Amino acid sequence: MKNLVLGVTLAVTLVVAQMGCKNKKVKVQATEEEAPRMASSVSMGDPKAETQLINGFHGVEAGAWRWTAKQFTMVLRSPTGSAERGAKLQLRLTVPQVAIEKLKTVSLSATANGSALAPESYTQAGEYVYTREIPAGALTGESVKIDFLLDKAMPPSGADLRELGIIVLNASLESK
Amino acid sequence: MTDSAGLPPNPASPNAASRKPALRIAAFRNAAWLMAPSLLCLLLYWRGFTSWFRADDFAWLGVGLYIRNFHDFLAAMFSPQAQGTIRPWSERAFFMAGFSLFGLNALPFRIVVFATQFANLALVATIGTRLTGLPAAGFWAAVFWVLNSSQILPLGWVCVYNQVMCGFFLLLALHFLMKAVAAPSLRSARRYEMLQWFTFLLGFGASELNLVYPAIAASYTFLRGGTGARQSFRRTLPMFAVSLVYVAMHNAVAPRPPGYYAMHFTGAMFRTLARYWTWSVGPTFLETPILVPKWVLPAGVVVVSLALAAFLVAKLRGGTDHRGGTDHRPSWSVSPLFCLCWYLAAIAPVLPLRDHMTEYYVYLPVIGICWLGGWAMAEAWSRSTPGSTSGGVRARAVATAVAALYAFLVVPEAVASTAWNHRVAARVRNLVEGVAQAHEVHPTKSILLDGVDTDLFWNGILDRPFRLIGLDHVYLTPGSERRIAAHPELGDVSSYVLPPDVVGNALERDEVVVYDVRGPRLRNITSVYTAMPRETRLPARVDVASPLTSYLLGPEWYPSDEDHRWMPKRATLRMAGPSAAGQKLYLAGQCPEEQLHGGPLPVTVTVEGGTLAPAAIRENVFELAFALPAGLVGKPEIHVVVEVGRVFRPAEDPRDLGVVVGVIEVR
Repeated sequence: MKNLVLGVTLAVTLVVAQMGCKNKKVKVQATEEEAPRMASSVSMGDPKAETQLINGFHGVEAGAWRWTAKQFTMVLRSPTGSAERGAKLQLRLTVPQVAIEKLKTVSLSATANGSALAPESYTQAGEYVYTREIPAGALTGESVKIDFLLDKAMPPSGADLRELGIIVLNASLESK
Repeated sequence: MTDSAGLPPNPASPNAASRKPALRIAAFRNAAWLMAPSLLCLLLYWRGFTSWFRADDFAWLGVGLYIRNFHDFLAAMFSPQAQGTIRPWSERAFFMAGFSLFGLNALPFRIVVFATQFANLALVATIGTRLTGLPAAGFWAAVFWVLNSSQILPLGWVCVYNQVMCGFFLLLALHFLMKAVAAPSLRSARRYEMLQWFTFLLGFGASELNLVYPAIAASYTFLRGGTGARQSFRRTLPMFAVSLVYVAMHNAVAPRPPGYYAMHFTGAMFRTLARYWTWSVGPTFLETPILVPKWVLPAGVVVVSLALAAFLVAKLRGGTDHRGGTDHRPSWSVSPLFCLCWYLAAIAPVLPLRDHMTEYYVYLPVIGICWLGGWAMAEAWSRSTPGSTSGGVRARAVATAVAALYAFLVVPEAVASTAWNHRVAARVRNLVEGVAQAHEVHPTKSILLDGVDTDLFWNGILDRPFRLIGLDHVYLTPGSERRIAAHPELGDVSSYVLPPDVVGNALERDEVVVYDVRGPRLRNITSVYTAMPRETRLPARVDVASPLTSYLLGPEWYPSDEDHRWMPKRATLRMAGPSAAGQKLYLAGQCPEEQLHGGPLPVTVTVEGGTLAPAAIRENVFELAFALPAGLVGKPEIHVVVEVGRVFRPAEDPRDLGVVVGVIEVR
């Protein structure tokens, strides 16, 4: 028994001493250094696009879509030539049955760099594309910040602590 | 050859015909019996064994960072910290030595934690055996303790090592006391008493909870009975004086902070005790990851509690008091009431902490309950224990069912919470090691982190782990505070967030790199982030030490010294004005002792040409507040002049130094 204890102690001492010899304070872990470009089209399931979702988006579900809150904001790259010709914004979304049951109608509006985009109302559950023209004047920078606003959302409840608006799958800007 | 509980017998009476082989087999069995709970512990908490550091760990790892001389060392070892605690062995020395030898390699820390816990389990088993006279009782007590979900943090979070080490000193002291009362000679008894005293005194360096040991020792000697019991009891009383002196001294040098950690000696203590009891015989927070009806957990707690109570009552009524002469257990065995005494003594110090209930506070008390449970299990399975309450098959079935119910209540929570702890620590490791790599790639730039969420912030940012690798300039992107749940009692998220205007300027000057921390590897998103629109309003909070805020400072300021910046007698800066009436300008920093030798240091602040009511610095670490005129409300930019009453010039520095300024803020 004493030999066993002695052996274990010796082994632990050797291992610990060996670890102590590598006296670098921390190991480093590889980072991704390649420079990604800001995208004009953002899929909700793409983890690399998450930096362009500024706020109001909940976590990815089924690797493809996200619930939004009542207000949600994203940034998209201004497409080439859009500063002269303007661009078309397309937001692929789903109005879920539960939202219609609880809210009856949902209206979506937006502003692009402060320029107001006309609202659209949804009275039935289903898939839609919110499409709006963005004037060239709002697209002079490298990117455009788009603030979306719903007139109603489902408040947090015991079943789900999140404020839930609609489901978004993809957003894109195309030069006209 | 095993007893009816399936355990090897205590190898106390070797067979004369084959003495040596029998002794070897018995020794092997004895070792296996002692090691089995440790192996179970490793099996159940292997994620704890492989976890990295998180949260408070980083504060303790950095405790030796600023030691320059012996006085600093003494201060680092013994000055009250973190709610006024003084734990030189289990926190200061443990982390200082560990970090200086192994850096941020968690494995050596884990080896020490688990080795101590294995020793604790062996002590729980041997003490349990001695308390009851039944080897199986000690074994089951150790197993029940391993299963208890209060082990999650002591075994999964390095900074809770103080509990593990405190347990070691308490158990070892009790072990020596039991040896002393059973010693065959007076000389031997005194030797063990000395060892007990030595262990008891050392225990104060592990945790202040050690002060309960005299109550444990006194209750053991009092309840043990038999010859010499009264004398043994009397010999424990001086230890109460030591604990009282410790309490008086501790309160004198480290008064308990108000608020969260305030002590409430009221009826709330009983409610707190009741809640802790449910966490002792059931899962912590009375939660389980298994989907079960709501009534299952409370009902399970009631069943286990009633079973323990029934056993206790049966033992007390069953004539087991050996002073009555009907008990044939060894002289060191004791009334089962001792198990309750251990529980109450060990939990008593935390009962007044009404507003700070913590899951690991039952880690040590629950040992008493485990001895009682182990005793019940062993008695139910023993064939012929004198004075036993066993009723054959029915007793075995009941004991086994209650033990299985207890395991069902506590093990799922232990496994799930250990897995959560491991996951969070792994994310923190990815973050810290990724930032270390980012610094190697961009050694001259500050680092901005995007995508930090609640778990990552409170476990991997708050305690500034990056200073451990020499990085002071790591910040969060503007707006990060919206993703992080606030806990004002723990810290202020906004003080880690860089204002948008400062970020914009730093990006323009190529002084900062931005990394997305959402994935398993840090991702450089500087180019994407640069393209994003951002506010250009001047910040209302200026971290003067940061080189990134230099553009807001006048030419008088000295260059940033990494984590601080000196001002001369007079210095200027630009910042945003107040956003609402009643807001003040706060000036926080540090004033060297030399500047305070001549009395309080006057400070004058002038804003937009108007001098504010003067203030004076009286302590090394200061925060001064200056009321702002209502006319400044809404101004996008204000010009601030700060002037101190005098400067000094240290021997090793040719500069005229005023004070070290940290943050200037309007709020």
